[in-house]
Amino acid sequence: MKENLLNIGQAAIILGVSIDTLRRWDENGKLIAIRKEGGTHRYYRENDLEIFSSDLFKFATEWIQNNSDFPGKFYCQTSSVFQAKLTKMEYELMGKPGFEKLYSLIVLVAGEIGDNSFAHNLGKWPDTPGIFLGYDIQKGIIVLADRGLGILETLKQVRPDLPNHTTALEVAFTEFISGRAPEKRGNGLKAVREIVAAQPLDLYFTSGDAEVRMQGTDKSFRVTRGQHILRGCLAKIEF
Amino acid sequence: MKLLLEKFGRTLISRELGSEALKAFQSTLREIGPDELLEIDFSGVLTLSPSWGDEFLSPLLNQLGDRLVLLASDNLSVQATTNILQEVNKRPFNTKS
Repeated sequence: MKENLLNIGQAAIILGVSIDTLRRWDENGKLIAIRKEGGTHRYYRENDLEIFSSDLFKFATEWIQNNSDFPGKFYCQTSSVFQAKLTKMEYELMGKPGFEKLYSLIVLVAGEIGDNSFAHNLGKWPDTPGIFLGYDIQKGIIVLADRGLGILETLKQVRPDLPNHTTALEVAFTEFISGRAPEKRGNGLKAVREIVAAQPLDLYFTSGDAEVRMQGTDKSFRVTRGQHILRGCLAKIEF
Repeated sequence: MKLLLEKFGRTLISRELGSEALKAFQSTLREIGPDELLEIDFSGVLTLSPSWGDEFLSPLLNQLGDRLVLLASDNLSVQATTNILQEVNKRPFNTKS
């Protein structure tokens, strides 16, 4: 059977990146194009593009670590784009068998994490504004990330004594901070922790070198120190 | 007075939009009599987040106290959000089933 190949322009539209980005990804081996015998034009199999797009966590991690490009369909430059994508995700989740009631808690958790990124970095984004939101409802995974200031720096506005990322994450997920203006990280992450602890959801969250893992049978809340210091925030929700 | 929260949207997530909703509601709020109840009906809301709720429901709770009445909802995000807002505000909502 003859294989249907996409040209570079079609592939760029599907992935939501520029043709130049695809050329660069081909040259550095990130997404290698097919060349017809003796030809110079780049072609792509549709199935290869789907597989390439499926590694959400890798795209998000490489973006916040190295500011690497990722497929544009995962990018929410503004809060309103995020809201629209979240609503689309909500409808898909509602249709997943077994999630007819649980969907609203998953949307709440993803919504709080993403909205925090916008609320705390408005007008303060160090470079790229906006967030990464990728999800695969069938696989049960949602990934969110931002290249913002991170939890420690934003919480320091109301708690200047915070010594490190680990303590900052501990505070963000456990303490109710009163009189928090102008810092409005608020209490959303406390709700996230309580929901993940009680429901069949797993959470990995990192900011700076601090990590929270609430996974599998052990949902006890602990903040540990990871090996790398990451920009902004990165979260993975699995269900 | 009964407020159908769905009028502000079915997916109520962001802090910014919660604050906008409260501003939009101010003119209606001024029409409530001094002894009148404000009943919040969550029917039709798909997801309600603590951030949206904190901008909308917390100020109403502080302003109206027990005159703010939350009608029962079987939506899990509504239940989780009202629980956490009670902790944040250190006072319970008046509820009606």
